[in-house]
Amino acid sequence: MKKQFMLTLALFTLSFSAYASDAGIELDREKIPTDSASILRGAEHVVNNCVSCHGLKYIKYTDMLALGIEQKTVDGWRGDKPINTRITAGMPAEAAAAAFGGVVPPDLSLMTSARDGGVHYMYSYLMGYTVTDKGMDNKYYPGTRMPDILASASTTDPKLRAEVSTKAKEITAFLNWAADPHAEERKQLGKYVIAYLLLLTVLLYFWKVQIWSKLK
Amino acid sequence: MYKRTLEWIDKRFPLTGFVKHSLVDYPTPRNLSYWWNFGSLAGIALVMQIITGIFLAMHYKADIGMAFDSIQHIMRDVNYGWLLRFIHSSGASAFFAVIYIHMARTLYYGSYRAPRELMWWTGQGLLLLLMATAFMGYLLPWGQMSYWGAAVITNLFRATPFIGDYVVIWLRGDFQVGDATLTRFYALHYLLPFIIVGAVMVHLVALHTVKSSNPSGINLADKDNIPFHPYFTIKDLYGLGVYLIVFSIFVFFMPDTLIESANNIPANPLQTPAHIVPEWYFLPFYAILRSVPDLAGGVVAMALSVMIFAAMPFLDRSKIPGGSRYRPAYRVMFYLFIVNIFVLGYVGAKPVTPGTAMLGQFATVFYFSVFLLLPWISKKEEKYLRDRGLPAEVEELIKDEEIKKTERRQKRDRRHA
Repeated sequence: MKKQFMLTLALFTLSFSAYASDAGIELDREKIPTDSASILRGAEHVVNNCVSCHGLKYIKYTDMLALGIEQKTVDGWRGDKPINTRITAGMPAEAAAAAFGGVVPPDLSLMTSARDGGVHYMYSYLMGYTVTDKGMDNKYYPGTRMPDILASASTTDPKLRAEVSTKAKEITAFLNWAADPHAEERKQLGKYVIAYLLLLTVLLYFWKVQIWSKLK
Repeated sequence: MYKRTLEWIDKRFPLTGFVKHSLVDYPTPRNLSYWWNFGSLAGIALVMQIITGIFLAMHYKADIGMAFDSIQHIMRDVNYGWLLRFIHSSGASAFFAVIYIHMARTLYYGSYRAPRELMWWTGQGLLLLLMATAFMGYLLPWGQMSYWGAAVITNLFRATPFIGDYVVIWLRGDFQVGDATLTRFYALHYLLPFIIVGAVMVHLVALHTVKSSNPSGINLADKDNIPFHPYFTIKDLYGLGVYLIVFSIFVFFMPDTLIESANNIPANPLQTPAHIVPEWYFLPFYAILRSVPDLAGGVVAMALSVMIFAAMPFLDRSKIPGGSRYRPAYRVMFYLFIVNIFVLGYVGAKPVTPGTAMLGQFATVFYFSVFLLLPWISKKEEKYLRDRGLPAEVEELIKDEEIKKTERRQKRDRRHA
C-alpha cells in the first residue's frame, strides 16, 4: 500500500515536468541577486535605460521612494508629475510603434512573471544579443525589435563584459521585485506560518494518539 | 448561563440534539484509514475559497478594462491582498487535489456501491459544479490564458446539434468572449459556490443515512463503530494540520508554479498564445478532448469521460463486497487507471505532435476500456475468487449481508401483509 502510494506520488511530481519551458535553447542560469542594494541599482538602470521606451505602469514613484531610492533621485525622475503617478514610457505608444516596426514596447512591470524561465529568461535575453549577417538579433527572441541597449553583443573585453553582466543582473533583480513587491515579505511570513503549523500538527498528532489509545 | 441559553434554544431549535446525534455520537467504523480524511478536507477547502473569494470580490472589478489592473491592485496595494490572491489561486488547485484523492479513495474501496449510490451521484454533481466554478473563475484575471482558454472551451458548445452557433453566442453574451462574458462569469462564479454548499449538505445527509464505508468494504458489526467525537474530530484536525502545511508551502513559497506565465499578460484577442493550456486539474479531460479529431466527437468524449463515473454502481457487477481489499483484478484495474490519468495529464499539457496525439488516443481508449470492461472483468473475477475459495471473514460477512437482507425483506413483507 505504502509502495503504491510512493509510486503515485513520484509520478505526480514527475508530471510537473510537463510544465518545463519548451524553449529550444538553454537559458543562462546565472544567479540573480536578491539583495536590496542590487535592486536599488537595478531601479536606476531601468529608469535611466528602459523607461524611455517601456512603461512600468504598476509601479508608482511613491513605490520607488518606499523601496529606498533617495527623494532627490525620484524627484529628478518624475519632473513635475505628482509623486503618486505611475511610471509610463517616455515615448508615446504611436511614436514607439512607428520606430519599432509596428510593435509597441511591452510594459515591464510583470515581465519576469510573464515569460517562461522568469528571471533566467530575462537575464539571458539581455545578454543574448548576437551579430548576424542580417544585423543585430537575439538568441532567445529571434526577430526582436528591441535594440541591444546594454551593448552586450559588441562588448567583448572580459572586464567590460562582466560590468554589462552585472548591470543586466541588477536590471533583472529590480524587475523581479517590480513583478512581485511582496515576495520577500511573503517568504518571511511563510517561515513563521510553517513553523507554527509544524508545532501545531505535532501536538495534534500526540493528542490523537493519546485519545485513540483509550480504545480497546 | 451557558447551559440556560442552550436549553432556551433547544426548546425552539434542535441544536443540542443535532450536534449530539450527528457530530458527537455519530457511529463511525473504527478501522477508517487516513484516506477518509479527505472529505472533511474538501469541506475546509470550500470554506477557505469562499472566505478568500468574498474578500477578493471587495476589490476586484469585472470589467475588461479594469479586471487585470484590479488584480494588480489587490496584489500590490490591498493590505495582504497578495495573501488573499495566492490562497485563492492555490486553494483552487488544493481543492481539486483533495477531491481527486477523495474520488480515488471511493473507487479503490468500492464506497460507491449499494447502498451508497446516491452519495456517489451527489458527489458527481459536486464535481461538475466545482469544475464549472473553477472554469469561470479562471476567466476573471483576464490574462492571455484566461481569455483564450474561455474562448476555446465556450467554442466547444458549437457542437450542439442544430442550434450550436446560437448556444455559443448565448453563453458568451456576445459573438466573442468579452465584457459580457466576464460579467456573467463573475456573477456565476460568486453564486455557484453557495449552490455547492447546498449540494454538500445533501451529500452529508446521504452519508448520515448510510454511514461511512470502511477499508474492508464490508459493513461492520455495530460493535465495531466508535463515536465520531472525539476519535475522528481529532483525527480530522491532525489531517487538517498536515494539509495546511503542504498548502502553506505552495501559498508562501511556490504560488506561481500554479499560475501560467502567459496569464501575467493582459488578454489580447488579436494574439493567440503559443500553447493554450488549461489548469492542471483539467489536463486529462483536455487530452481526451483533443484525442478525437472531430469537434463534436471530442466534446462528447470529454463529457462522457467526466460523466461515466456515475455508471460505476452499475458497471461493477461483482457480488464480492467492497473494493480492492479482496479483489486483486479490480485493484490492478484501479492502479492502471490512475497511471493512465497521469499519462493523459502529460498529453494534455504538451503541444500536439504526432507522438503525443497517438499517446493521447491510446490513453483515451484505455480510459474508457477500463469502465467498459469492468462488468465482464468483475464477474470473471468473482467466479475465479469463489472457485479458489474466499477468505473466511469475507464468506462470513457475505453470509451476514445475505441474512440481514433476508431479514429486511421478511420485515417488509410482514408489514405489507
